[in-house]
Amino acid sequence: MLPALVRKTWRDDRSSLIGWAVGVAAFTGIYTSFYSQFQGAAELKQDALPQGMLDFLGIADMLSPAGYLQATIFSLIGPLLVLMCAITLIARTIARPEEDGGMELMLANPLSRAAFAWQRVAAAGSALTAIAAIPWILLMIVVPWIGMDISLSRVAAASAGLVALVWCFAGIAFLVGAATGKRGAVLTITGGLAVATYMVNAIGGMLDGWHWVRWLSPFHYFIGTDPLHTGWHPVELLTLVLLGAATTTAGVILFDRRDIGV
Amino acid sequence: MIHVDRKACPLTDSALRTVGLTKRYGRLMAVDDLTLEVAAGEVFGFLGPNGAGKSTTIRMLLGLIRPTAGRASVVGVDAADVTRAHQVLAYVPGDVALWPHLTGAEILHLLARIGPGTDLAYQDELIERFVLDPSKPARTYSTGNRQKVALVAAFATRAPLLVLDEPTSGLDPLMEREFRTAVTQARDRGQTVFLSSHQLAEVQAICDRVGILRAGRLVEVASVARLRALQRAEVTVAFTGTPPALSAVPGVETVEAIGDGQLRFFLTGPPAPALSVLAEADVTALTVREPSLEEIFLDYYGAEAAR
Ligand SMILES: Nc1ncnc2c1ncn2[C@@H]1O[C@H](COP(=O)(O)OP(=O)(O)OP(=O)(O)O)[C@@H](O)[C@H]1O
Ligand SMILES: [Mg+2]
Repeated sequence: MLPALVRKTWRDDRSSLIGWAVGVAAFTGIYTSFYSQFQGAAELKQDALPQGMLDFLGIADMLSPAGYLQATIFSLIGPLLVLMCAITLIARTIARPEEDGGMELMLANPLSRAAFAWQRVAAAGSALTAIAAIPWILLMIVVPWIGMDISLSRVAAASAGLVALVWCFAGIAFLVGAATGKRGAVLTITGGLAVATYMVNAIGGMLDGWHWVRWLSPFHYFIGTDPLHTGWHPVELLTLVLLGAATTTAGVILFDRRDIGV
Repeated sequence: MIHVDRKACPLTDSALRTVGLTKRYGRLMAVDDLTLEVAAGEVFGFLGPNGAGKSTTIRMLLGLIRPTAGRASVVGVDAADVTRAHQVLAYVPGDVALWPHLTGAEILHLLARIGPGTDLAYQDELIERFVLDPSKPARTYSTGNRQKVALVAAFATRAPLLVLDEPTSGLDPLMEREFRTAVTQARDRGQTVFLSSHQLAEVQAICDRVGILRAGRLVEVASVARLRALQRAEVTVAFTGTPPALSAVPGVETVEAIGDGQLRFFLTGPPAPALSVLAEADVTALTVREPSLEEIFLDYYGAEAAR
């Protein structure tokens, strides 16, 4: 039997969880199913844009199935969508109820602060994982269905990277929220960090002598290994997961020690 | 052979105790060296003007904020040990916020599941009495309705200590009466009630003892009866013939004539000497006005406010 706090957290977040799930599913489904129609348009787009721009956007070639999936789902909009979902959902675990006061009544119960925090993060984290796994599930169905010529294992590797990326940024968002109790801080710090590390990964790859900075970016561990061409990279994925676990644990510890609602 | 730990087993039967409890925000002393003890079974009123430090004290009792100095215990348990301390108390925050998308019933259900134990039959009775519609989502509730959800949840627990921060600030007079009934019933069950308030009439009506807090300092702790006794009664008499010779009577102060054949004076202590003087005069009417706690309160703060 799941703790009541976990179930009620899902229930409280129900409408926004459904909204994000529908959004991510629609995004994945629509982009992938238009693969054949996009072929002509993609050629045009590729001619129109300079090579440097294509590299930055991560859409080096849109004609191969791997290139197409990379360009549409995995390079920009996909991660952007799931990370926005992660940041807003994680902001609801502690920062938002602390700011609007809804946490005070809960914390007056015989439940340690750490238990409260873990249960909130378990509820939000599991919902978030399900949402981030939607592209994975849909691609496993749609890719063979429309006859895209790409190994499903490689698509799965890239999709797993998306989930791992979400865990990493969810951990960071949780740490900020648990440490500050401020929703604005969660949104700006985590959002800013996501944009900055995305840029570091994108630009670092293009500048000679600066390739190493990409190692600082979570995006490198997610997509820098080129999973759609090279398959699984367990060490990189594990790095993201461990980063998420470490930041979450640090968040719980800090939350346990500070004053609430000040 | 049973070893009795003296610290774990308090000598007195106290429901709440603070020793030198202090909270400082930067240079502001929100609560300053507060030492207070509330006995089990008592209804204790914690009175003070805005910003006196009532909520800050309560939030330290709940372990939501850590004291800068001093300590607090509830029913013999260190307040910082929240998992144990919260087994013995229920809390109603000063500003009740609920999770917006849950209904009142879902919130009550959650609180009953994670709380210190709830009497569900009594909870249903309280929902009726407080005229709460638990089927609506919390975001649609008014301030008073949110407060009712928290009150119903707290009163329905069997926790030995109820900590209520300005529990009636959002209630209408009818609901305030229900609230008083619920406090009386809690007292009858042996629960201790610690409530903060601005509402002096309420404290006067339901509390056994009152602590008055000003600028973070506890300025007085007294029974409601004694606090009133500190205060003088205002007596007005109408008479015919010679005025009663009150000036030298013990306990009588500031005698003044107000209009034709009327006197007003203030009386402290036992009224017998003044009454015997009045008995000799031809008194046609007599009114005695007892000061409300409000006036006592204003006496405490009057000087401060007038400064
Ligand atoms: N987080 C905080 N940071 C700085 N000062 C604070 C903080 N919380 C409270 N204070 C200050 O501490 C003092 C006591 O506040 P508190 O909320 O305890 O008062 P109160 O007695 O509950 O007042 P009210 O009757 O208005 O509820 C006030 O001067 C308040 O401004
Ligand atoms: Mg207050």
